[in-house]
Amino acid sequence: MSKDLVFHIQRFSIHDGPGIRTTVFLKGCAMQCFWCHNPEGRHPYRELQYYASRCIACGECVRVCPSNAHELVQGVHTFLRDRCTTHGACVDVCCSGALEMNGREMSAEEVLDEILQDKPFYDNSGGGVTLSGGEPGLSAKFSKDILSRCKEEGVATAIETCGYCSAEALKTLIPVTDLFMMDLKLMTPERHAEATGNSNERILENARMLAGTDRPLIFRTPIVPSVNDLTEEFTGIVGFIHELMALRHAQGSTASITYELLAFHKLGSDKYLSLGMEYTASHIEPPTKEVMQNLLAIARDAGVAARIR
Amino acid sequence: MVSASPRALSYQERIDLLRATKKRHTEEKWRVLGSIDMDDNGIILPPLETLRCVEVMGGSGVPMKDALFSTFTPKSNHPSGGIFGARACGENYRALLEMHPTYVDPVSSLAGCYMVNFLSYRTPQWNPDFDYPHLRPEQQLYGLHHGIGAVQHFCQDMTIGLSLGWEGLRRKILTFRSVNTDDEAQELYDGLEHFVLGMQNWIGRTAAAAREMAASEANPQLRENLLQIAAINDHLVHEPPRTFREACQWMLWYQLSGKMYNMGGSLGRIDQFLYPYYQRDKQLGTLEDEEAVFHIACHFLMDTSYTQLGGPDSLHEDTTNPLSYLVLEAAHRLKIPVNVGVCVGEHIDPQLLRRGVEIMFQDKTGIPKFLGVDRTSEGFARNGYPMTLARERAYSGCHWSALPGREYTVNDCVKINFARVFEVAFQEMMDDAHAQPSVSDLWNRFEKHLRRAAAVIGESLDFQIDHMYRVYPELHMDLLCHGPIERGRDASHGGVEYVNLCVDGSGLATTADSFAALEQRVEKEERFTWQQIAAFLKSDWEGPEGERARLLMHRIPRYGSGRSCADAYASRIASTFTTIIKEKPTPRGFNMIPGLFSWAANLAMGADVGATPNGRHAKERISHGPNPDPGFRKDAAPTALALAVAAVQPGYGNTAPMQIELDPGLSKGEEDIGNVAALIRTHFDLGGTQINMNILDKKTILEAHKDPSKYPDLVVRVTGFSAYFASLSPGIRQMVVDRILAGE
Ligand code: SF4
Repeated sequence: MSKDLVFHIQRFSIHDGPGIRTTVFLKGCAMQCFWCHNPEGRHPYRELQYYASRCIACGECVRVCPSNAHELVQGVHTFLRDRCTTHGACVDVCCSGALEMNGREMSAEEVLDEILQDKPFYDNSGGGVTLSGGEPGLSAKFSKDILSRCKEEGVATAIETCGYCSAEALKTLIPVTDLFMMDLKLMTPERHAEATGNSNERILENARMLAGTDRPLIFRTPIVPSVNDLTEEFTGIVGFIHELMALRHAQGSTASITYELLAFHKLGSDKYLSLGMEYTASHIEPPTKEVMQNLLAIARDAGVAARIR
Repeated sequence: MVSASPRALSYQERIDLLRATKKRHTEEKWRVLGSIDMDDNGIILPPLETLRCVEVMGGSGVPMKDALFSTFTPKSNHPSGGIFGARACGENYRALLEMHPTYVDPVSSLAGCYMVNFLSYRTPQWNPDFDYPHLRPEQQLYGLHHGIGAVQHFCQDMTIGLSLGWEGLRRKILTFRSVNTDDEAQELYDGLEHFVLGMQNWIGRTAAAAREMAASEANPQLRENLLQIAAINDHLVHEPPRTFREACQWMLWYQLSGKMYNMGGSLGRIDQFLYPYYQRDKQLGTLEDEEAVFHIACHFLMDTSYTQLGGPDSLHEDTTNPLSYLVLEAAHRLKIPVNVGVCVGEHIDPQLLRRGVEIMFQDKTGIPKFLGVDRTSEGFARNGYPMTLARERAYSGCHWSALPGREYTVNDCVKINFARVFEVAFQEMMDDAHAQPSVSDLWNRFEKHLRRAAAVIGESLDFQIDHMYRVYPELHMDLLCHGPIERGRDASHGGVEYVNLCVDGSGLATTADSFAALEQRVEKEERFTWQQIAAFLKSDWEGPEGERARLLMHRIPRYGSGRSCADAYASRIASTFTTIIKEKPTPRGFNMIPGLFSWAANLAMGADVGATPNGRHAKERISHGPNPDPGFRKDAAPTALALAVAAVQPGYGNTAPMQIELDPGLSKGEEDIGNVAALIRTHFDLGGTQINMNILDKKTILEAHKDPSKYPDLVVRVTGFSAYFASLSPGIRQMVVDRILAGE
């Protein structure tokens, strides 16, 4: 069985697919959306998270760190990230919770063990497991191992992908995935590249590929003011979804395509700090209810089964 | 006030007016009495010119003020100044009823309210002639809530009263007076008769007051209403109720008389015993659903007692009926603290649960609560009772059920504080010069002391049953139970068929986490020695070293995190406790039933316990009921909580309720209602017995904590009971806030 890095397992996750779910967040994503609220999922390696406000300056980490990444000078603790080798001894001795290791290597069986704890809740609610990230498409082998074991255990499966991964990787996951959720952030390739660090051709390709399967599809757009709440950008996305719906229809497929709008929020900002990363969305405010409602109306008018999540 | 207006007020407008009146009453209570850490109860203050304040001990262990009439002084029959026995209690209570002011609100469809607690007139509460020095040292050692002196906390059968009426009850007393001629019976009959005569006087005076008010009422709608109230109450002085409204009025009088007598009066299955009246009126075409909702609402405004909606009958058929929904609707319209429990189970209409969750999301008042009736009836049957009987147990108090009119229980009055027992065991081990401290040695001592604490409880309960009837008999409940009048025995003294005494364990998480922290940090990791830990506890984690140690002991995988060492200890403590309570009855042979519940007494219980190895400071509150401590998991996952609490159920019919706080952010639509309903159902499928839920906004609760007076309407489910947040003392408010913030 494969192993990989997991940065969080969220139980009673009810907005990542139908019913009560467990969402497993895998580490590593090739996009760099500047508004991302899961920055701890970006890098495919372990990172030490340091929450200065919790530190009680006891100095224990200084004592155990083999690479001198912690310093205590005149009662003030400093973490020198560039020296850190993510050895982790400091996390064990830190009593205050100021130090946490972001990313834990887990085997697919270990992940399954956590997932299965909530099986009765999935059964009663029509829920299951969702692999998210990071980008599960970048950990295809690990993802496939988890999901196929889930299928064996009778747990419904879903994948939440940003779409920026190889089509081959996604294809290997199709047989073990009951539902795909894919982000569509922007339609204009240049603007997409500017906002996320990558062009969107591959994403749109993957979207078309998935639309050609018999799996239900949910497209999702995080509505980020001044990025994709402008009518032309947004209608582009809606138009694309409509196109895929037509494609399915032409193929005689009855599998659903639906659409969810998610409002950008700033809840991830302190995580940036803890990772020594710069928070890049501080200038943006969450969209207003009216904006969300207007966009919803646009999508619905275009014949897309949309809702706000 | 309502002015004479040509347009009739709608029921909703009348509810709004009544709510405003209640708000005024409540704010007056806050002003005069300060915090109230218990059920709202619907009590209002005596007229200010006759108001006298006394200090009493509140249920949560914090002294609180209570209001009395300065114009009423009971007559003691004992050198201690107390009032003891059925005759003296009945006589004095009658005198109180006969002087109690009448209360008629022209907007309400029902008359009556109560203004004082008779209990607060009774000092001392316990008769010093029946002392128990042989029990006291160990009661104190273990900090037991031992049940001696416990009142009410079982359930009457309302149908007895509804079918007989007050005069019928009096005739029944007279009939059996000539059958049971022994002194005990004769004294009880005296007390009961006084009780009934007092009630008839109060109701008769109320009818007259309503008629008088009608004479000067300018608004025709209200005048008509007052005349109806007068006619209904004239009728009810002697006769049983005929209509739905009369039945509601009768029920209210009975409840008020119990609230005032000993804070008693549990409603039980209101949608069942009122249903015949509802059906009758509907068939006659004299009652609309809107009106039925209004009468129930008028009742809830004056009595917030506990009620069960839906649930199985003795043959496992669902009893959910249209009235179940109307009662729920009344709670929904009112948005005041009421205690409506919705049954959830295999055969029960799932729409009732769904509607309950919808209201929970919409109102955010912690109403309703959810009852896992299949599990509680199966559990009760394990005491050796048939399932047909078990299904008749009705939810009627904070976390408890009882067989209406047939069972004496002292529910919610008897508690063993696990944390205190743990502390005794720990001390003993550390003081034992021959001991090699270890977690297993500690466990053995814990078990030994837990067994001893349970034995002391058993002896105490026997003492209660032997003496309570001569101290403060259950006159109010006796009237509507099967047996007390027939046998001439108080319900606490052989008056009813079944005795199943409640024994609850408290502080489960505090204790389980303490065991686990010792096992991990002292035994496995050897970070501290036993002596170091003992010193830290003694100094309450003093100094920077102490604080560091405290945080480390606290930061272990705690009970609730799932499959942790602490989870295993929680299950082990719960099952050991269950085994101990079930291995034998009290010395006199009375059955005891284990549950896990602390009520809001976990603050007082905590004040009794020094620092504990789970990183808890001395005197801090202990954990709540069977719940993990707030912060048990970073994601605070409700499913993890539901699994944890389901795994520690004692399983004999008394509950270990899950207290759960959900973020309003998750209520985004239909699907989420379905998901929360599924969460509830699954908890019960897994063995859970009851759910107390809040859906509260963090920001609101924080602001309200800072300045409660800005949020006079904010209602929260504190534990089994619900209350205005602003009524609560700072300690209880903090507990609610901590629970809600724990997911951060
Ligand atoms: S061990 Fe933790 S609390 Fe102590 S100095 Fe290091 S980061 Fe701060």
